Amino acid sequence: MKPRGFTYHQPKTLDEALGLLAASDDAAVLAGGQSLVPMMNARLASPEIVVDINRLASLDAVRIEGDRLVVGALVRHESLIGHPLVQERLPLLSSMAETIAHWPIRTRGTIGGSLVHADPAAQWPLAAVLLEAEIELQSQGNARRIDAADFFEGALSTTLAAGELLTAIRFRLPSAGHGAAFRLLTRRPGDYAIAMAACVVEADRPRRLAIGGVEPRPLDRSGALDGLTTVPEMIEAACREVTPMDDPRAPADYRRRVLAQLVGDCLAEALRGQAS
Amino acid sequence: MTQHAITLDVDGERYELAVEARRLLSDVLRDLGRTGVHVGCEHGVCGACTVQVDGAPMRACLLFAVQLEGQAIRTVAALGDNGGLDGLQQAFHDVHGLQCGFCTPGLLMTLDALLRERAELDEATIREVVSGHLCRCTGYDNIVEAVQLALRRRAKAA
Amino acid sequence: MSEPRAVGRALPRTEDRRFLLGQGRYLDDITIPGALEVCFVRSPHAHAEIRAIDTAAARALPGVVAVITGADLAGEITTLRMAPAITGVRPTEIAPLPSDKVRFVGDPVACVIACDRYVAEDAAELVEVDYVPLPAIASMAGAAAEDAALVDATVPHNLVAEESFSAGDPEGAFRRAAQVVEARFVQHRQTHLPIETRGIACVFDPGREHLTVHTGNQAPHPLRTALAARLGLSESQITVISPDVGGGFGQKIALLREELVVAALARRLGRPVRWREDRLENLLASLHAREETVTVQAAVDGLGRLLGLRARIEADMGAYCFFPANYMMRVVGMILPGPYRLRDYAFDLRVHLTNKCPAGPMRAPMAITSWVMEGTMDAIARALDADPVEIRRRNLLEDADLPYVTATGERYHSISSRGTMEAALDGLDYVAFRAAQAERRDRGELVGLGICNVVESTTYGSAFYKAAGIPGSGHETATVKVEPSGACSVAVGLMTSGQGYETTLAQAAAEGLGVDPGAVRVLIGNTDIAPYGMGARGSRGAAAGGGAAYLAGRRLQEKVLAIAAHLLNRNSSDGLALEAGHVMQRAGGGLQPSGLTLADIARVAFLDPLGLPDGMEPGLHVTTSYDPPPMTYSNSTHLCAIAVDRVTGMVRIERYLAAHDSGTVINPLVVEGQLHGAIAMGLSGALFEELVYDDQGQMLSGSLADYLIATATELPAIELIEHARPDAMTPLGIKGMAEGGVMGSIGAVCNAVADALAPLGICIDSQPLTPARLSALIAAAKRA
Repeated sequence: MKPRGFTYHQPKTLDEALGLLAASDDAAVLAGGQSLVPMMNARLASPEIVVDINRLASLDAVRIEGDRLVVGALVRHESLIGHPLVQERLPLLSSMAETIAHWPIRTRGTIGGSLVHADPAAQWPLAAVLLEAEIELQSQGNARRIDAADFFEGALSTTLAAGELLTAIRFRLPSAGHGAAFRLLTRRPGDYAIAMAACVVEADRPRRLAIGGVEPRPLDRSGALDGLTTVPEMIEAACREVTPMDDPRAPADYRRRVLAQLVGDCLAEALRGQAS
Repeated sequence: MTQHAITLDVDGERYELAVEARRLLSDVLRDLGRTGVHVGCEHGVCGACTVQVDGAPMRACLLFAVQLEGQAIRTVAALGDNGGLDGLQQAFHDVHGLQCGFCTPGLLMTLDALLRERAELDEATIREVVSGHLCRCTGYDNIVEAVQLALRRRAKAA
Repeated sequence: MSEPRAVGRALPRTEDRRFLLGQGRYLDDITIPGALEVCFVRSPHAHAEIRAIDTAAARALPGVVAVITGADLAGEITTLRMAPAITGVRPTEIAPLPSDKVRFVGDPVACVIACDRYVAEDAAELVEVDYVPLPAIASMAGAAAEDAALVDATVPHNLVAEESFSAGDPEGAFRRAAQVVEARFVQHRQTHLPIETRGIACVFDPGREHLTVHTGNQAPHPLRTALAARLGLSESQITVISPDVGGGFGQKIALLREELVVAALARRLGRPVRWREDRLENLLASLHAREETVTVQAAVDGLGRLLGLRARIEADMGAYCFFPANYMMRVVGMILPGPYRLRDYAFDLRVHLTNKCPAGPMRAPMAITSWVMEGTMDAIARALDADPVEIRRRNLLEDADLPYVTATGERYHSISSRGTMEAALDGLDYVAFRAAQAERRDRGELVGLGICNVVESTTYGSAFYKAAGIPGSGHETATVKVEPSGACSVAVGLMTSGQGYETTLAQAAAEGLGVDPGAVRVLIGNTDIAPYGMGARGSRGAAAGGGAAYLAGRRLQEKVLAIAAHLLNRNSSDGLALEAGHVMQRAGGGLQPSGLTLADIARVAFLDPLGLPDGMEPGLHVTTSYDPPPMTYSNSTHLCAIAVDRVTGMVRIERYLAAHDSGTVINPLVVEGQLHGAIAMGLSGALFEELVYDDQGQMLSGSLADYLIATATELPAIELIEHARPDAMTPLGIKGMAEGGVMGSIGAVCNAVADALAPLGICIDSQPLTPARLSALIAAAKRA
């Protein structure tokens, strides 16, 4: 389990990184490496060029811009758990981060890496969809923002273009007094989720509900809740048009069964939490 | 293959090295005599290779040595108390918290970092942290007890 | 005041210090200058003909020293012929590397030798093998199908072992029965998963024609015997040195092909060669275990008393037989009845070859027996609508039944199963548990209790092997030495892989010799230093190894005291004793120091032999072999209380309790640690671990993200109750233990889940008890 050879770059500036990415059609961005390096060690991934972005300090920041919480691509899962801005304005992210893998993985793994990896069972793609996030992408001479809903294409697949680097994610901050909840089912704490649900309830906006780990990409099920008043109705509506993935360890009907429970628990907690 | 000239800070010692980019930190640390860094799975799951990087526990098998110029790497060789056992190690010894010993150094690096951060821990939290490491021998009970014993002794001494 | 005895003390382990300081010396930690590293090229097919292997590109890669295939090794290594003199087994042969066809995904077909593992892996990718795929056999049912392809052309119907046994009058028992209860038990494929994978490092000295082998192995001497035979060397030309071993659990006993090939390459190339298996290889192609199915029919009377039992045992051996194919299943059949009265008993067994990784013994290789027998007891209780504890009480052997010879000829003289069961039930408060369970059931909770009585066959004596028709010996040998300074050591041919022998063997030898355990250095894991030993297998370390160490120590003490008597001008050593290294003599009501110490005696024995009694040999050393009784047993009762989530199917262990009779315990700390670890392994296997193959024989559990083992968050705090009865037949009453926890926890947790789901009419007849499976069963039961 030793990786194939590669050419290594450790750019000190964003421009330098973008230049390197522009120059190669077989470059991998190395952020935390907690998904990429296992694949490289197993020789399931073998990029010719590895661009290590860990020295790009500008990507390792959390800040608030208007109604957005902006999290740099290089922010580690662990640092989101205790971040004062996160705890004050969007504690949901903190409780989601706590469920990611284990401590020695969270200290290194990054939010940007997780978003680009786009594992259907990972927490951050779900959070991105739930919180109507914008994904900031930069390439040499170009920058764009894309809605999270348009970023995730399928399992391990995004609309990130060649030469592009995900530099930040911009979560929409729910209003003060919002209720929020996250539920996931794993075989063991720290494993990838079999199914998960997250919910935000605000006084002045429609309820938001997203589910993950069930279809190849996170699903925004907020629309299904329109006009409904009871939790059982909402569960039924949220799970109705879902086509769960099917694999031997988590058959489709199993995912469907547990999803209903997760969604229900999540809705109930978010509703309870609102303005209380 | 291209060799990269790097300087590594391992257990407070500086090493000038030439390494291939693909060499995993776990392998490079072992080459530097840090054989307490055990290689158990090379995909980040078992935790046997866990070291501290700038104080935080990380899997050495998921880092390339070339990435870590200027960062302080700490291995099990840096633990201990003047060649003897430190409080955590002593507690592992006293309550039989290890059997074959292969997972032990990785666990110690995570738990040492934990005890530096926290003065009190409930059992559920300890179990959660320990669950990031695979041990095939002990069933974990005595590992959890070792952490609790180390905490109790430290509180008493304070 | 004499020191406490050496045996029975909860001494923290001697070996801990180096492990805790990161100074263990596992295989990879042994520096061998100039050692080459290898990487094996493995089959991606479950079953395929090898047309050609092209190694040219791999050989051309800078840093590559050689690439070899099976054909290259033909003259250097003999094939392994597995043809034990056991009835019912077909002989099979295993070449060092296959050159005609591959038989499972991961089968090694070539070996790259390079300057380091990185380059070796690069080159392995360049080896081109031309395969012609053949139909794959991926299950026992597939193996037994009428037109099944043959995994081994010499084994018709893929049936590598088949035999039957009958004792008493089973037919008569079934005729007399008030009721016949049937049950089925399907156990799934698992693997040992030592955290340190396998490996070997070999150095051949051409001048001395000597091969030095470093390998983490549980049985260094038998490994040396096998290596010598396969390589055409004499045993005295090989030294096997076992370094610290990061877990074995049965995976590090037999000589497997990779180790053999590396040893041959070191000789062929005249350069040191080493290999460390990586985790993917370990999961895919090391050894697997436990894929067995047992069906039983139990004839019972109106009170649920067992009149007769018929069992059918089937096992999936995988692609090759590295062990006699029926050995484990024959013992499963022999020990199946466990602690229950049974005269009329029959079993038949069938072992199948499939295109999957070969199977081998894994900690508690006969673990299924406890689940089968205890699951049968529960099935009887359900059939009679009786309390499962009451059914067990009606069938358990009582003290008054001892000694008891079982239907298969096993002789129990010191088991205490009724005692451990009652102790465990008291510890739980069984009656209160059932009352609380009823209340919780009324609230809709799925709560269950599993009970599992275990009789663990710990230590096989030579007489057992002979009676079972299995080649092997159960003896163990120890050498206890005292040096001129008085320093003590004990050398034993066992090898530890975490069991703490460096502490417990010192305690056993110290007990015999009469010194402090801390004064005895344990020398193990080197075939040149230790006397030939049969290795650490089963749970034989304490009774066989500890027994030998104790007896050797005691014999040496006799010599020490004879010298002391001579020096003290006494006629005999009567009234003398050696305690904590001091020669004591009886005076008044007690023992008083004589003024002589062991060091004084040693000085005379080595440096002043004329001061010894007439005719006595100089020096202080004793080598003793000890062959234990045919079989030694420990026993235990495991209780597991669980709750199952109705929706997710997740099993939460609420309480786990085991009462154990491990006889005289050398070190309680170590025994409890062994129980913890064994219980954890059983629970992990029953709830989480599963090696899955698809119907093409592709393995789907190739990483630790797929092959899940239980961690600190899934495993319960384990409550232990000691209920010791020293063995009547062994030195000091030692019984040994280490595997019973696996047996007990598998049976207890499976029975607990069965109990929880019984009100829904769900029958649990297979493992693992995964949430998805349980959830589906619960959902289907609700619909019905």
